[in-house]
Amino acid sequence: MNGCGGSEHQFSRRQILGSMAAGTAAGGFGSLLQHAAADELQQANDKQVLLIWLDGGMSQLESWDPKPGTHYGGPYRSIPTSLPGIHVSELMPQLAQRMDRLAVVRSMKTEDPNHSSGVPKILRGHPRDRGVVYPYFGAATAHLLGPTPSRLPPYVWVKPGNGGFISSHAGFLGPKYGALALGGGKPPQNLQRPAAISDELDELRHRLRERFNQRYAAGRRPQVSEAGSHVYDLAQTLMKNVDLFDVDTLPAVERDRYGRHELGQHTLLARRLLEAGVRFVQVTSYGWDTHGDNFNAHATRVPRVDQAVSALLDDLQDRGLMERILVVVMAEFGRTPRINGSVGRDHWPNAWSLAMAGCGIRPGVVLGETLADGTDVNSEAWDIGALFHTWYTALGINSQEAEFMNGTQPLPIAHDDMQPIPELLA
Amino acid sequence: MLTVVSAMASADENPLHRRINQLLPTTAAPADDATFLRRVFLDLAGRIPSVTEAKQFLNDTSPERRKQLIDRLLDSRDYPRRMQEAFHIMLLERRGDHQEWSRFLRDSFEQNRPWDEMVRLLLKPAADDESARGAAWFQTSRLVKEGAMADVDVPGLTRDVGRLLAGVDLGCAQCHDDLVISDYLQQDFQGLQMVFENVVVRTDVGFPAVGEKLLTAPRAFSSVFEQIPRQTAIRVPGAAEVALQTFAEGEEYTVPPDRKSKFPGEPKFSPLQQVAEHLTARENRLFAANLVNRVWFLMLGKGLVWPLDMHHSGNPSQHPQLHDLLGQEFTAHDFDLKWLLREIALTDVYQSDSTPSDPSVPVSVADLSEKRISAESLFWSVLIALEQLDPSDTERSLEQQLAESQPLQELQKQFLKVFANAPKEPELLFEPTVAAALFVMHDEQVLGLLDAESSPLPGRLSQLEDAAEVVQQASLQIYSRPATEVETAELVELLQTAAADQRSETISQLIWAMLASTEFCVNH
Repeated sequence: MNGCGGSEHQFSRRQILGSMAAGTAAGGFGSLLQHAAADELQQANDKQVLLIWLDGGMSQLESWDPKPGTHYGGPYRSIPTSLPGIHVSELMPQLAQRMDRLAVVRSMKTEDPNHSSGVPKILRGHPRDRGVVYPYFGAATAHLLGPTPSRLPPYVWVKPGNGGFISSHAGFLGPKYGALALGGGKPPQNLQRPAAISDELDELRHRLRERFNQRYAAGRRPQVSEAGSHVYDLAQTLMKNVDLFDVDTLPAVERDRYGRHELGQHTLLARRLLEAGVRFVQVTSYGWDTHGDNFNAHATRVPRVDQAVSALLDDLQDRGLMERILVVVMAEFGRTPRINGSVGRDHWPNAWSLAMAGCGIRPGVVLGETLADGTDVNSEAWDIGALFHTWYTALGINSQEAEFMNGTQPLPIAHDDMQPIPELLA
Repeated sequence: MLTVVSAMASADENPLHRRINQLLPTTAAPADDATFLRRVFLDLAGRIPSVTEAKQFLNDTSPERRKQLIDRLLDSRDYPRRMQEAFHIMLLERRGDHQEWSRFLRDSFEQNRPWDEMVRLLLKPAADDESARGAAWFQTSRLVKEGAMADVDVPGLTRDVGRLLAGVDLGCAQCHDDLVISDYLQQDFQGLQMVFENVVVRTDVGFPAVGEKLLTAPRAFSSVFEQIPRQTAIRVPGAAEVALQTFAEGEEYTVPPDRKSKFPGEPKFSPLQQVAEHLTARENRLFAANLVNRVWFLMLGKGLVWPLDMHHSGNPSQHPQLHDLLGQEFTAHDFDLKWLLREIALTDVYQSDSTPSDPSVPVSVADLSEKRISAESLFWSVLIALEQLDPSDTERSLEQQLAESQPLQELQKQFLKVFANAPKEPELLFEPTVAAALFVMHDEQVLGLLDAESSPLPGRLSQLEDAAEVVQQASLQIYSRPATEVETAELVELLQTAAADQRSETISQLIWAMLASTEFCVNH
């Protein structure tokens, strides 16, 4: 449930962007002008996002912020990186060589130690509580930047398990901005046209449908008619790109480079989706909630992140895409320095790390530090709200002025008490 | 009592729909008969009319024909089914169904049970009334664990009681006074939640049922912002605080608990009973204001208060005078839902054209908005349009006809899956999805219904030689209106230029395109 406002809100993206472009409040122009201005702005913005989400919480101590030889340090060593003086866990040797392309924050300090509430809080950028349900990062970006000229769905979520259309991510923006989820990296259901419908018949039936829709739409407010046609357009765009969803067709050597595991193959799929023009791709890896046997679990899992993200960074660089694709690797929190009785680490929002690269981000930065035993932040602490400001800024969105419209209620896109972090911006 | 009687008297002389017309002069033109026909069928019968029903109405020249149709539909066997579907979606928000719950809803609408009585049964279910006991599903379906680590979502049930039955979403007041809405206080949430924390789901019976533990102490709480200890007794939205009643030890129960049978006991002081009585009391304005707002939304496509669960002083009704009138009259008519639906259906605004006089002007309270058609209504409508089901069959209802076809039941499951929202998501506005579009485009069973060799409508139309007749029949069958001249000309040309061996396929695609079009998929 969300307290979403009037029926106008669903198509407010265009109005907001239209008004942003013109530097004035929406409403002064005819709707046609707003549409044109919004489309131009959206097409002018070629920025895209890949969010790699390590659900359950990756341990910062076994990855970005190792504390070898200390009370809570655990069994793994740290290794030097391509940044002088900076070490990371030995579980990520490939990323260590690519640290000069990354920006890492080691002083994340957030509020919520629970998965059920922590995941949505972080994915929404934890804005000030106004009694409304904010969109997730993907839905928000889809709303703010719209689809790219590819017309592919702007927000695709690659995840293990079931797929579908996940409208709950959209919050008050309305289901239109939800995620197209590719469960197990597989394409959506009913994407294949049965052989009984020939190309000619298919063309005919859609032409007729559109003709009926045009006639129905004449003289009406555009919202309902646009929505009714939009989903069929999107369905047809997806069909034209059916090969995109099948990584099996790629050369074995490429698949090997990302790793023959779920995260590797899903990251490869994400790269293809981004290249094809999806605005925002989220790749989720589950199973990071290592309350028991933390060290063996991380020994298996962290190298997969290392392999997949390294292959991705190389590909983005080779293709000249680093300038316009923002990559973020994070979870809802880190893990406790204290090792529990089951040789596990528990939830730890008090001092954790995340990483980013690409579009608008200053490479080779390690921001902030934790105490020698890792129990708390020992520098300025950063909340997720400041990171959302930073990422929106990197994407060319003025995070302190742009607003969502929840019906008639304007809402800041990121926490109004926070700002972008200049050290992270190129 | 006197005021109620006089209100009734004036209502008879000047019925509510006339008073609404005076308060709400419409700017839009009246809807034509065909538009009204389709709309009122979808709203009151949950389906489109069959061709027979459409012709009967469109050929009727009586000035009373609209009124007569409204009354016919309210008395039809479709009405309780439609209301069961609509209130199931509204009250359960796709949490799943239960046959005892369906029976409660169906019986309630068959006998036109007053809304206050329905709500009292939702809040204080009557386990000994076989036809009504399923009302407990409103609570038991929410009092479940979702995942091993999750607690039973009592705050969720508390919030839903406020949202759905009083139109107030107190969700943000769980941990502190609402930061934005000054009317929504933490004590109101806590004073309601204490009642539901005390509820137990009964395991001693095989149907949905709840019991209550003894509630003897006020609720202690504090705001997360200021850790100042506070307490409250029971609080019901729209009503005053209700004091707790305690009894001497050993005398707390009318029927004591039984450990052996796991019967939880029947306390003399039932907090659920208190909530049921105080929420539905005639003097509780929120109670009637919420329901009339939701019925207005159901019929006109938008709430007078919007969002529907945001009744508070900072979010006033779009038309306070109209809203008050509706609430007062609904109360004076003993919360009679059928009466309320009838009065709204008789208004000028309900019977106006949904095409605005100026599309650039935002929807106002005096307009009828295009409305979402529920997955259930859309399913029945598609099958009626395709002549798979016959609503005029006097022997068998639509549901009985469906029960005879395994493939159609399978289709219904798929249909509801793609057209309904996810659990816990209110279904309000027209929000088409790509999943549904792909289903309509490619599902083998859907496409099978368009096969001229095996399906009645495409089969019948492809036998017609006169192309204009094909177009007219398709339009009446699917859109419940005659085809316009322009449409007829275009489609006749299409059919006449189609190769002979492509004609029946072309007719099938024409039917598909009409069913997939926005005109068919929304209630306008």
